[in-house]
Amino acid sequence: MQLSLSAAEAWQPLPAAEWNTEAARHLLRRAGWSDPQPEAGRATADGLPLTLRRLFPADPGLFPEPRLIAHLRQDTPEMARNLTSTSPGADKQALLREARERTQLAVQDMSIKWLQYAAQPRNMAFAKWVLFLSDVYVVGIDKVKNAALVWQHFDILARNALGSAPELAKAVSRSPAMITYLDLNQSKRGAPNENFARELFELFLLGEGNYTENDIKEAARAFTGYRQQFGVFRFAPGQHDPATKTIFGRGGRFTGDDVIDLAFQQPAAGAFLPHEMVKFYLSDSPLPPAYLNELGAWWRRRNYDLRELAQRFFGSRLFFAPEFRGEFIKSPVQLYLGLVQDLGLSVAPLPRQVLVPLRQMGQTLFNPPNVRGWVGGRTWINSATLSVRRSLVESLFAPIDEALLNADEQLELVAAKAAGNGNLTVPDELLAPLARLDAAAATDRLLGNFLALPAAPPFRDAVRQFLAPVHADGPPTLRRLRRAAVTLLQSPEYQLC
Amino acid sequence: MPTNSPTPLFPTTRREFLQLSGRGIGLLAFSRFAPAFLVNSALASTPAPEKDRSILVLVQLAGGNDGLNTLVPFEDANYYRLRPTLAIAKEKVLRASGTLGLHPSCAALHRLLQDGKLAIVQNVGYPNPNRSHFRSSEIWETASASSEFLATGWIGRFMDNACAGQPAGAAGPVGVHISNGVPQSFLSASVHPTFGLLPGAGNHHENEESRQLLETLANQTGAAGNDSATFLRHTLMDSLVTEKKVQRVLGGYQPSATYPRNPFAASLRNVAALIAAGLPTRVYFVSLGGFDTHSNQANQQANLLTTLSEGLAAFQRDLEDHKLDGQVATMTFSEFGRRPSENESRGTDHGTAAPLFVMGSRVQGGLHGTAPALNLAPNEDLAFTTDFRSVYATMLDRWLACPSEPVLGGKFRGLPIV
Repeated sequence: MQLSLSAAEAWQPLPAAEWNTEAARHLLRRAGWSDPQPEAGRATADGLPLTLRRLFPADPGLFPEPRLIAHLRQDTPEMARNLTSTSPGADKQALLREARERTQLAVQDMSIKWLQYAAQPRNMAFAKWVLFLSDVYVVGIDKVKNAALVWQHFDILARNALGSAPELAKAVSRSPAMITYLDLNQSKRGAPNENFARELFELFLLGEGNYTENDIKEAARAFTGYRQQFGVFRFAPGQHDPATKTIFGRGGRFTGDDVIDLAFQQPAAGAFLPHEMVKFYLSDSPLPPAYLNELGAWWRRRNYDLRELAQRFFGSRLFFAPEFRGEFIKSPVQLYLGLVQDLGLSVAPLPRQVLVPLRQMGQTLFNPPNVRGWVGGRTWINSATLSVRRSLVESLFAPIDEALLNADEQLELVAAKAAGNGNLTVPDELLAPLARLDAAAATDRLLGNFLALPAAPPFRDAVRQFLAPVHADGPPTLRRLRRAAVTLLQSPEYQLC
Repeated sequence: MPTNSPTPLFPTTRREFLQLSGRGIGLLAFSRFAPAFLVNSALASTPAPEKDRSILVLVQLAGGNDGLNTLVPFEDANYYRLRPTLAIAKEKVLRASGTLGLHPSCAALHRLLQDGKLAIVQNVGYPNPNRSHFRSSEIWETASASSEFLATGWIGRFMDNACAGQPAGAAGPVGVHISNGVPQSFLSASVHPTFGLLPGAGNHHENEESRQLLETLANQTGAAGNDSATFLRHTLMDSLVTEKKVQRVLGGYQPSATYPRNPFAASLRNVAALIAAGLPTRVYFVSLGGFDTHSNQANQQANLLTTLSEGLAAFQRDLEDHKLDGQVATMTFSEFGRRPSENESRGTDHGTAAPLFVMGSRVQGGLHGTAPALNLAPNEDLAFTTDFRSVYATMLDRWLACPSEPVLGGKFRGLPIV
């Protein structure tokens, strides 16, 4: 990709004169999911600095603990006691099955609740930022097995998400889900397990090539004795190896926290998270090292403050450069929540209709494919996933057939309606105002609302012709408007933000 | 018998394509972003591919399969020393030779071995092994040296070399993957028609009217003229043509063998369906994950090897019943083997070399290469004795009939496995 700015210019704040509606919409789509009104108008009026402070606030709204998770957390010690005291056999199988099913249900419920939380425009940038951090500090329900620990991991990320990056890493090393996910609870003096130490350097802090195999072996010793039981971290001094280690060429009786501090003193530490941000937020094309090093050096001088990094990144000239407008492929979560926002919908409390398509598009919440997280970009797209993207849009335009729902789903639906949660699928009224316009005006409204970039004339003409009624000058029918909207949302253009 | 549909599954000429267009593919025929295989065929105007062209099915064992417990050196005291809890008892091993045998979960593969349809290449790896999942997968999938970073995969370069202007790409996808995302092996320098399937995806009702509008929109430069938009447009056009037809093939396929009920076996069943339909696809890719057994390995690996073994055997039987087995070779790979000495969590950490399987009616069955030496200190790793690129070179030169040197960037000695 041809970059329009030099490394030195790239991270300077965007001049106020370049802030406009299109810039505001770009920021909302990338930092959040989409650019719904009235947020886009408000951001335009408020200016960039104030908008950034609102997107990444000092006191962000946290994702509250879902009820099923709380129950699971409270019951976990007793469930474990029952398991231990039951001898192998049918009873034990039943207990194991119950534990599995409760976690499965709790994950489903948590996924829906998280989507509902993240879809709120006031939460969206923070929710996405925590999702980003969870794509760096990965855990997955497949291995952690207890949904309460995974919720707790997200809570730990959220509570440290806009503070100091070394503190975040230290908190993560004590996260019970992480301790389980990367086998820290198996690691003890004389028999260190290298899994966590390796990923700490490779995937969390420095990147491949910036440490030696020996650094990993020694660091693994420093993290011996980290334990967790039922979601409570405990340091077991008897299991810890307190002897001298040599890491990054320095010797000392290092603890796990010391290892994290040592890693942040490495030259590679500053540019690592910015590199991950570029991949997650900005572009499939990696930035040249000089650009990342520039931001990395700046961030290091700011003592690795995450909130400052976010505001620097999303307020930079590079972030708003024309080459990055409308060229980034939406992740499945972004596609879904963007649709919810663009169509003024609420997230349906129906796992089959919401979570199954996300999984088929390649993104199961709380369960990335492996410790690397989601690769993203073009890897989201192939003929199979594109076809799921298309059917997802169709499903949002079709009324939910309540007769086909099972009893739990019907209860959820009743509860959602009672809570006044708004539309779950697109009603005709949403498109009705467009049916009072002529085909050209209706086309412009659809394109303007849905696409990240202005449409080229032939593209616009194709939509206008589709909407144009048989008898000239009349308004398009609701049915044609509905089909045009569906198709636009299925088009290659809508997959980009 | 191979089931050949009366009309070609994929159009091989622009004329055929136009005929198909009359039956509902519509505006695609005039597309500037026509499926890549059409563009190729228009330029190449070469004859249709032969029906008996060789096919390679790659099976990825993601996570790093423990080789020592897959092919067990049951006469080696060092093995039992290194694996105090995880070692497989000598009497449980399924004999492959006087000293080596398969894990007890590999009964189905063991029968194939006895029938001469399974080759086991021992102790495969590469110099200066990397123990990162991602880096080592990358090395295997790009066929690079440990210190070398390649942007394209070895199958991608096979397509670049074998398929440029050739008929393989003219009549359908040259590569099909059944996995989440495109495997790194498939990344190529030029664009080739490849197709991806997700197990369980599909089944949406389409409105014909907006399908036509979608074809029109996908055919426009639209709002964005950037690389991502072009990539999306190509993918959409390719999939619009292909998906209807593939779904029809998969839905109508009658396997001759009973496949186990799991997603991995379902993927292999779908591969068999596409092969039986006469696709010109040369390489299929399927993936089985979960081999990263750092703790409590015994049960996990046993289940995975059962899934692998029974799935592969059903696939082979199905191909044989359809008389397609002579065309197909199936090869497993994993990013690394595991540490010879087990860890304190009854698991094993990331290691280096491991055996791999090549299955097919035309392979030279039995053991190939040499077993690893196990006179190792605790935490020491295996020293590989067969370079994985020698296996690739063999499959390229002798199976896919594509010179391996330009694909692998060097000469690697072939093995007598096919």
